[in-house]
Formats: sequence, C-alpha cells, structure tokens
Amino acid sequence: MAELTRDEVLKKVRAGEKLARVDLRGLDLAKSILKNADFRRADLEGANLEAADLTGATLSSASLVEAYLKGANLSDAVLEKADLDGANLENARLIDANLGRASLDGASLTDAVLVGARLVNASMEQADFGGANLSQACFSHAEMSECYLGAARMHKCDLSNADLSRANLEEADLTEATIVDADLTGAQAPRANFTQASLLRTEIKGANLEGANFTNADLRHADLSNANLQGATLTGAKVFGAKFDGSSLAGLVAEWIDASAEGDASRRIQESAVLAALQSGVAPAAVPGRRYFGRGDVMRNAALEFGEGSVVEIESRFENCSIALGDNSELIIGGPGVLDGCTISGAGNITIHGTFFESAAPSIVGPRRLVVSDSGAIVATVQQRPEHTRFAFASGCRLRLTIVRAAQ
Amino acid sequence: MAELNPTGANSGKQTLIEEGTQFRGSLTSSCPVVVRGRIEGDVETPSLTVSDTGAVHGRVKVGTVVSSGEIAGEFDATSVQLSGKVNDDTVIRAKTLEIKLSSPDGKMEIVFGNAKLAVGDEPSRQGEGKGR
Repeated sequence: MAELTRDEVLKKVRAGEKLARVDLRGLDLAKSILKNADFRRADLEGANLEAADLTGATLSSASLVEAYLKGANLSDAVLEKADLDGANLENARLIDANLGRASLDGASLTDAVLVGARLVNASMEQADFGGANLSQACFSHAEMSECYLGAARMHKCDLSNADLSRANLEEADLTEATIVDADLTGAQAPRANFTQASLLRTEIKGANLEGANFTNADLRHADLSNANLQGATLTGAKVFGAKFDGSSLAGLVAEWIDASAEGDASRRIQESAVLAALQSGVAPAAVPGRRYFGRGDVMRNAALEFGEGSVVEIESRFENCSIALGDNSELIIGGPGVLDGCTISGAGNITIHGTFFESAAPSIVGPRRLVVSDSGAIVATVQQRPEHTRFAFASGCRLRLTIVRAAQ
Repeated sequence: MAELNPTGANSGKQTLIEEGTQFRGSLTSSCPVVVRGRIEGDVETPSLTVSDTGAVHGRVKVGTVVSSGEIAGEFDATSVQLSGKVNDDTVIRAKTLEIKLSSPDGKMEIVFGNAKLAVGDEPSRQGEGKGR
C-alpha cells in the first residue's frame, strides 16, 4: 500500500520536494506531470505511470518492477541501478536517459525510443526491444542474452563487450554499430544489416545470419564457426583472422573481401577465391596454396609457375619475370605491386590494383579474366583465350590496352 | 550502369534511331542520341546511348557513352560505360571507362574483338606502385 496519494505526490513534485525512498507501490500516476522529480530509491513497484512525463526525473536505484510506463516520457531521466524487471515501457521515450547498471530483465520496450541512451552494464535478459529505435545508444558490457531486437534500429549503436548470446536481431539495422568483443553466440540475425559495423573479435558462433549484410563490416578475428551465412553479403568485409569453420556459405555474395591485417584493403581476395579463403577456416593470408610476395621485395628475371587453383598475391616489384598461371588460378597485383616488363600466360584470373607495364607484346596471354580496379594501371597487350577473356574495369582505372583475339 | 530508357521518353529532347532504322552519314546533335537501330558514320553528341539492339560503327565524339549494343570505330569520350560487343578495329579514348564483370543473368558482360583502349592519364613508371 502506497504511503502517499496521487494528489500528495503531485503536490510534492510541484513544490520541488524530494520523494526519495518513499513507498508508492501500485499507485496510479498515469498521465501525471513528474518532470525533474526526485524518486531515488523510491518503491514504485507495479505503479501505473502510463504516459507520465518523467523528463529529467531522478529514479536512481528506484524499484519499478512490473511498473506500467507505456508511452511515458523518460528522456534525460537518470535511472542508474533502477530495477525495471518486467516493466512495460512500450512506446516510451528514453532519449539520452541514463540506465547504467539498471535491470530490465523481461521488460517490454517495443517501439520505444532510446536514441543516445546509456545502458552501460545494464541487464536486459529476455527484454523485448522489437522495432525500438536504439540509434547511438550505448549498451557497452550489457547483459542482453535472449533479448528480442527484431527490426530494431541500432544505427551507430555501441554494443562493445555486450552479451547478445541467443538474442534475436532479425532484420535489425546495425549499420556502423560498434560490436567489438561482444558475444553473439547462437544469435538469430537473418537479414540484419551490419553494413560498416565493427565486429572485431566478436563471438558469432552458430548464429543464424542468413541474408545478413556485412558490406564493409570489420570481422577481423571474429569467430563465425558453424554460423549460417547463406545468402549473406560480405563484399568489402575485413576478415583477417576470422574463423568460418563449419559455417554455411551457400549463396554468399562477395565481390571481394579484405584480407589485410590492418583492414586497409591493401590485400584483396576477389570473388572467385573468396569461398576457398573463408572455408579454409584460417586467416586468408595462410590459405593453403596461396603465395604472397610482400612489399619492399624486388624480383628480377625469374620464371614462376603456379598450379591450378592457386592464389598468388604480389605487393612487390617484379622486373622482367615470366609468370605461368594454372587453370582457375588467381593472380592479384596488390596496390603497392608493380610488374614491369613481365609476361603472364595461362588461363588464370588476373586482378590489378597496382601497376603492370609491358616491354614486349603480347604481355598477357590467354587469361580467363582480367579485372583492373579503380587504383589499377596497365600498359599491355592482352591476347584473349579462344572463348574470349572476361574483362572488368572500374571507373578511375588507367589503361593503355591493346586487346587482340586468340591466336588461330 | 545507367539504364536505357525503353520508352524513349524523358524530361528532355533526344534523337532516337529506332530499331529497324539504319542511318548512314554524319550526325551532329546537341541532344542525347539513343540508338536502337544502326548508325554507320560520324556522330557528335553530348550523350550516346546504344541499346542491346543498337549498333554504332564510325567515328564518335561524345561526352558520355552508355552502350549495351555493338560498337566499332573510333570513340573519343569523357566517360564510357560498356557492355555488349566491341568489334574489331575499335579504338576507345576516354577519361573514364567502366565495364562490369558479368550481367545479372550471369552472361559475359562484354565481348571484345581487336581493340585499343586509352583510358585516364597515361600510367607512368615513376610514382607508380604506391599502396592503396
């Protein structure tokens, strides 16, 4: 039983009196104006605060267990260490509210607005954030296991070190979110959007990521073992050190992935080699059959042969070398790579981010595919294979290219 | 890649060479030119669009070329987006060129005959090979 009536509470709030530690259990305060009220350590368990205006109110360490806060305005409110277990916060506004170390286990926050809210170290196990706007909110170190975040808007959200194991993130928008060192083990995130999100070192084992979008996301050292990535998009994703053991990659979309340790796109793996790199379950730099010639090295007058399916990446300077490529092998001339006076022959796929200069024509004979990226430059005569060579040139590339048909 | 306008209708005027039409001679236009038929000769226009049923053979001076048809001859352009077919004895000089690897249906985006491409600034042995 509450120790004050609704009118007494409103009168004290209007007078600027504190309501700290007061017992208001089960009290009906629906639609009341409680701006900047001080309810710290108050007991509001089961209270009706529907559509109440609690803007700027202090509710630190207050008990709001099972409280009815549907449509309430708690913007700029201080709810540190408040207990909101099982509370109904549907459609509530918590813009820039401070919920550090608060407990929201089993609370309902469907369609609530928490833009810029701080929930550092908060506990939200099995809470329902369906359709909520959590943009730029901070959930660092929060406990969010089995949380429902379906269709939640989480743009630029900070989820670093958060526990999101078995959480449901279906169709959530996590673009540019920070999800570093987090735990998404067993999460359900089909069609979620992780574009440009940082998932560095995050555990995503056994998660359902079907159709999810990881365009330009940072997955370095993340563990995606046994994850379902069917139909997911990984174009431009940074994957150095990421684990994909046992993951399902059917229908994966990836024009290229970034295998550089620094995540600076200096080592790209093109489409045809992506699956092999990911399925190896180790850092792409260590894919079996891969040859890497690093920056600063110079190779002259060498004859190199690479077998069927091999992946060769050159970031060095090669002068007057001849390179023979086996069927379906992949030759990538990285951004710093220069091939000067070299010849390339065979039915391999060639991608040029760096530079290729020929001395004698034809310098490239019979490639299956030739791609020149926006940073690539090539001066060459390309003799096509009988079935025609596939060409792709990105806007910004520089070409002095003579293309000739296959020799009869 | 810019899409062709199948109806030929857009906000501005354009010169349309419709499918089944063959044009021989010199064509100079201040409007965009859309070719669904065939042109043999010289073309000068700010914008040339060649549909997959279209063909342009000749000398072309143009700002922008978007072609999914057949081209041959000498093309001087600011920007070029190509798919379709480039016939023998074709020279393309442009500031930018874009060719995608494959069309959505998985077919080869472009087939080259004997052709020369001069795109962007002349690559130089000096100052090349820097990181991305």
